[in-house]
Amino acid sequence: MIHVRVYAMLIDLVGSRTLEVEGARTVKELLDILDSRYHGFKKELEKGFLILVNGVNVLHLNGLDTEIKDGDTVVIFPPVGGG
Amino acid sequence: MYGNWGKFLRVNLTTKEIKVETWDEELAKKWLGSRGLGIYLLLKEMDPKVDPLSPENKLIIAPGPLSGTSAPTGGRYNVITKSPLTGYITFANSGGFFGAELKRAGYDALVIEGASEKPVYIYIKDETVEIRDASHLWGKIMSETQETLKKELKDENIKVAWIGPAGEKLVKIAAIMNDIHRAAGRGGPGAVMGSKKLKAIAVRGTKDVPIANKEKFMLTIREKINKLRADPVAGGGLPKYGTAVLVNIINENGLYPARNFQTGVFQYAYEQSGEAMADKYLIRNHPCFACPIGCARMNKLPTIGVTEGPEYESIFALGSNLGISDLASIIEANHMCDEYGLDTISTGGTLATAMELYEKGLLKDSELGKSAPPLRWGNTEVLHYYIEKLAKREGFGDKLAEGGYRLAKMYNGEQYFMGVKKLELPAYDPRGAEGHGLGYATNNRGGCHIKNYMISPEILGYPKKMDPHDISDDKVKMLILFQDLTAIIDSAGLCLFTIFGLGPDDYRDMLNAALGWNLTTEEYLKIGERIWNAERLFNLKAGLDPKSEDTLPKRFLEEPMPEGPNKGRTVRLKEMLPRYYALRGWSEDGRIPEEKLKN
Repeated sequence: MIHVRVYAMLIDLVGSRTLEVEGARTVKELLDILDSRYHGFKKELEKGFLILVNGVNVLHLNGLDTEIKDGDTVVIFPPVGGG
Repeated sequence: MYGNWGKFLRVNLTTKEIKVETWDEELAKKWLGSRGLGIYLLLKEMDPKVDPLSPENKLIIAPGPLSGTSAPTGGRYNVITKSPLTGYITFANSGGFFGAELKRAGYDALVIEGASEKPVYIYIKDETVEIRDASHLWGKIMSETQETLKKELKDENIKVAWIGPAGEKLVKIAAIMNDIHRAAGRGGPGAVMGSKKLKAIAVRGTKDVPIANKEKFMLTIREKINKLRADPVAGGGLPKYGTAVLVNIINENGLYPARNFQTGVFQYAYEQSGEAMADKYLIRNHPCFACPIGCARMNKLPTIGVTEGPEYESIFALGSNLGISDLASIIEANHMCDEYGLDTISTGGTLATAMELYEKGLLKDSELGKSAPPLRWGNTEVLHYYIEKLAKREGFGDKLAEGGYRLAKMYNGEQYFMGVKKLELPAYDPRGAEGHGLGYATNNRGGCHIKNYMISPEILGYPKKMDPHDISDDKVKMLILFQDLTAIIDSAGLCLFTIFGLGPDDYRDMLNAALGWNLTTEEYLKIGERIWNAERLFNLKAGLDPKSEDTLPKRFLEEPMPEGPNKGRTVRLKEMLPRYYALRGWSEDGRIPEEKLKN
């Protein structure tokens, strides 16, 4: 079971802040599953995203091919900023 | 001249003399305006060693060449002065409408000198400039000052900058406020204004800023506005959730400071996030002058009605860093800081210092006064009680009013002050973004985020994603680019949030079209570097000791982060700082060589 947390506009789309997903071996597969469950999920990330696997940005791991396993936490943000 | 008027106002509050002086294109090509013009004038006219709260300190309030134009976010101004908190330069920046109005009155800057014996305010309506009695305003909080001045001047549209009771009482973390809730906050400029017995500046400006090539300027502006609107942050996340959208991002990345930076993860972050605010309290956005982004929040609470804010930084300062989760209490505390005229980051930072001193047993209940709430983490009573005491310098509040560094020193707990050069730190634990840590250590105004916002590349991925724990030369060079570019954006009179959508070439395009210049991006960045070096020079002349002051609190250098994604991390400042000096072209001991200053 992968623990997933979503934020910003994605909360409205998913209708919840947290969810559990089974059967995803990579971040890419996880996004495919989420997109099939929540239509337009990947579209929200078209202009950019910030995805963390256990707190580390996937861009510093293996990008969307980063492998995930049961018990991992994946956090997904659409592009956001401030200061 | 175009963009700039080539004129600034000099008001001496001791002699009551008012003069209009000129500056020229040649100087503008070296300093641009606003923050750049401010440091140029201070270095030329003032001994950096002056007592910041003496009549010898000058208070420069300056919009930039793009302020008051239709350039996106062109409503900013800077307050440039010697800080009573740090003893070094400060350049506090604010939005709203005041800066644009001052520019449209026909001035590139207002230079305030001397000190009045009695409370006064300055009234400016284009060429009319008067020093008026403000005895009836002294002691008033923000909302009362605004109402009284509007009625007195019979002008609903007057734009006002003022100080609250905190500035009057020379509280070292007092802000200059404008347009109700906007603050030029950092470094205590409100205390400088208070020391001059200057309560307010009320401005009406009716002129159009001179633009070199209006048609080209309008086309350029339209292109840049479209870029900002198309950007997912400037045109999406920021308008929808405000700066508080950062709460969850920074917390999930493990650098959202809690309990005086004892950790970088706060269990209750979501409850105080932009998402939660939009759900519970948000009624609308409140854009500043000519802003297509509109990040400011108007919130409504049953207790205080409609108020603006809080921003991300204020939520951390008055929330997680004090162990407080309740967003309603944070909104109320933010409103109180605005009413009294306080910098929210430094107010929270000072309270956090007091709370850790209390936790460690260095500060006892007997010090706090009868019926004072205990300084325990998470106690929301702390906010209302101590903010008022601090602003009025009453009881223990008189010690808080000196800021976190001096407070910690009074109780032999300097290690519990989380700041740099005596300025309380903003909302990012540098153990989770080491380039940002180098930024804190080298920032000319002390522990400040906004003049070297490395969170942008290290966490958010703008303009490109960099590993927060990479400390290579690439990282140091990116920091220097951010510092120099920020000096340009500030000096132009624009908001730093335009970096979400615009790049260095975009600022060049807007400035060239407005000013009638043909400078390259590199030439603009050279101006930014000149401004940065000049500010550093001011600090060195004021007595800065790079060895002991270009540093971070020991906590970040020696105590590993206790939990979260950055568990075990410290900041490797010693490995970065010498390379920063070298890449800046400074000496090994952080001083600026003569030949560098000639540029």
